[in-house]
Amino acid sequence: MEKERGAMRLVACDPAALALGLTPGTALADARARVPELAVFDHDPAADLKLLGWLADGCERYTPACMLDPPQGLLLDITGCEHLFGDEVRLAQDMQARLQRHGLTSRVALGATPDSAQAKARFAARTISALPVEALDGGDKVHKALRRAGLRSIGDLAIRPRKPLAARFGKTVVMRLARLLEEEDPRIIPRRSPPIIQTAQNFAEPISRTNDVLATIEMLAGGAALQLQERGQGGRRFEISLFRSDGHVARLAVDTGTPTRDAVLLMRLIRERIDALADPLDPGFGYDLIRLEVPHAEVLENVQVGLETKVDTDAATAALIDRLSVRLGAQRVRQFHARQSHIPERAVLERAAQAGAPKADWPKPEPGEPAMRPFRLFETPQPVEVTAGFPEGEPRSFRWRRQVHRVARVEGPERISPEWWRHARGYEPGNGGLTRDYYRVEDNEGRRFWLFRRGLYDETERPLWYLHGIFA
Amino acid sequence: MNIRHNPLGTVFPSGQGTWKQYQPDGQSSLLPIGAPNVDTRLRGGIARHGLHEFFGPTKVDSHAAVAFALLLAWRLPESDAGIFWITSDKERQASGRLYPHGLSAMGGDPSKILLVQVADLRDALRAAADGIRSKAAAAVILEAQGNARLIDLTSTRRLALAAAEAGVLALLVRGDAVPMPSAASTRWQVKSAPSVPLPGNAPGFATFDISLLRHRGGTAPFAAKVTWDHATRSFYDAPLSGGLSAIVTGGEADPASRQRA
Repeated sequence: MEKERGAMRLVACDPAALALGLTPGTALADARARVPELAVFDHDPAADLKLLGWLADGCERYTPACMLDPPQGLLLDITGCEHLFGDEVRLAQDMQARLQRHGLTSRVALGATPDSAQAKARFAARTISALPVEALDGGDKVHKALRRAGLRSIGDLAIRPRKPLAARFGKTVVMRLARLLEEEDPRIIPRRSPPIIQTAQNFAEPISRTNDVLATIEMLAGGAALQLQERGQGGRRFEISLFRSDGHVARLAVDTGTPTRDAVLLMRLIRERIDALADPLDPGFGYDLIRLEVPHAEVLENVQVGLETKVDTDAATAALIDRLSVRLGAQRVRQFHARQSHIPERAVLERAAQAGAPKADWPKPEPGEPAMRPFRLFETPQPVEVTAGFPEGEPRSFRWRRQVHRVARVEGPERISPEWWRHARGYEPGNGGLTRDYYRVEDNEGRRFWLFRRGLYDETERPLWYLHGIFA
Repeated sequence: MNIRHNPLGTVFPSGQGTWKQYQPDGQSSLLPIGAPNVDTRLRGGIARHGLHEFFGPTKVDSHAAVAFALLLAWRLPESDAGIFWITSDKERQASGRLYPHGLSAMGGDPSKILLVQVADLRDALRAAADGIRSKAAAAVILEAQGNARLIDLTSTRRLALAAAEAGVLALLVRGDAVPMPSAASTRWQVKSAPSVPLPGNAPGFATFDISLLRHRGGTAPFAAKVTWDHATRSFYDAPLSGGLSAIVTGGEADPASRQRA
């Protein structure tokens, strides 16, 4: 029992309330008058939807094509799945029994189209022709007009010619009628796209030992690898669903940087994934269904392993990247990518190594020249106090982290203009950002730094100095 | 670019026929630094399949230790197979990140570097061990700041054994730390050294003061000054400071070519 908005009406009632004659839509004041000891709770649509999602997860044991039908419905496309449970009636019974265990009341209906099944469940009708006209979902006006014309059920409508109906009530009503009568079959849109490959193992007796679970996953991975091999593909993503006997579903996903169908490698990644879980897997009363899916696969040709047992470094690197990405997070394993910019910190991008290998197009060093760029760059330039001979001149000494460095050798400035096109109205003088003058500096102990003065003296009154990088 | 010397020349006096030139295992597993002065003292170089430690005595010097370790890894002929670089969040915040344009200017290939940034030292050691065992990279470099209790005899021995078994060069860089007992085959202290200035008093090539603190093979500690040459990817003995020629490479002595606006 829940309340809604200013008018305070009941949104939903439990069976006991229904037995007392309360129906959804009754004003709270009326309901209280009839049943003084009524217990009322706030309506929480978000929690309802979450529960529905949780139920949908559990229903994926019946079919991968599962769709939410808010506020209270689920649509399952069980085409080709019913034989796993005997027949469709037994599947429905199994589902109803499971829902009952959670204290939920449910109505299950089977239909050749999603619309007919949905309407049958909603109006508790056995046949389509027995459905009331409200099943058309055409709005109060349409329903009232139909009833006034003496058409009370879908059966009455089915035998009428469609064209006058369409002319009077619009095309949507006729389309909906065709769907209810199972003449037109729209597919449901599943919550998750069906996987490319799916292997699953049912258990008559739920299993709960981690070793058993891992052994099962290994077996499933072997099966999936075989299927991938037949298709000449390798998986990029593997998802494992652990269906607990009480309806909860735990999901583990493993991504790989390159397509793979190596079951041993996959098992290592899965073990890493389980180790890295914030809260460990709780088997509860055990898992009665374990499923492995490959939602994303790419072409992977068979490779002839050479006779000489040379370690394949590419494969080893890919395996290492995957392993560390699974354990530490993909963003923590990175590679350098070059970017078109002459602003030093913008010229480089670090991208997750799993996203793809970088191209080697770095500027080549000039023979006889020392490195003109530092090998280390600070994320944020470090402010330093600089003493220069004259305002526009080169630094003589500077203080960084409370230590004074006397400059013994210096080269510069290398002037780097700002990227004025990135600034709003940057084409106007003074809006384009500040020019930087970079100096390569060596102190009298031999440490080499990269300093810059931010702003020219005609751009800003007091340009500040920063230490941006360190040379070898 | 002329090659200054043949690092193996000091080790193998002469090759009489092809069979004599075949390198015995003991020698091939040595990585020469490139500077004859250092290599003679090391009797050929440092162990290629082992763990080496580099200390930067202060925070500012830790950058030199990092650079020296990285350059040493580039001495490996198969370094194109990749370098596996492990750093921590704290490290990156305090000492900045690797800058690929600078790395490329020192003669390396930044796209062959795999970066791993971990949250703490425990993860770092584990990632290092994984990286070594996977043989994915020719060299594994782990940098750690400060005195860390986790880097002890046990953890370093684990890394050293893995490195020897997998045939990987493992380099441990310790900035701002006091040397503690470890299983590393060599331990070095690295500091930046004044470079030979280029025309116009410009800072020159990367130069380091290195001193061997400890050697498992029994080599006596010594100190040396070496300069990196990015064209040959090799170190050479730095000339003693003083009025020596500023032009270290023949050919491009024209000061005008060094003028950059």
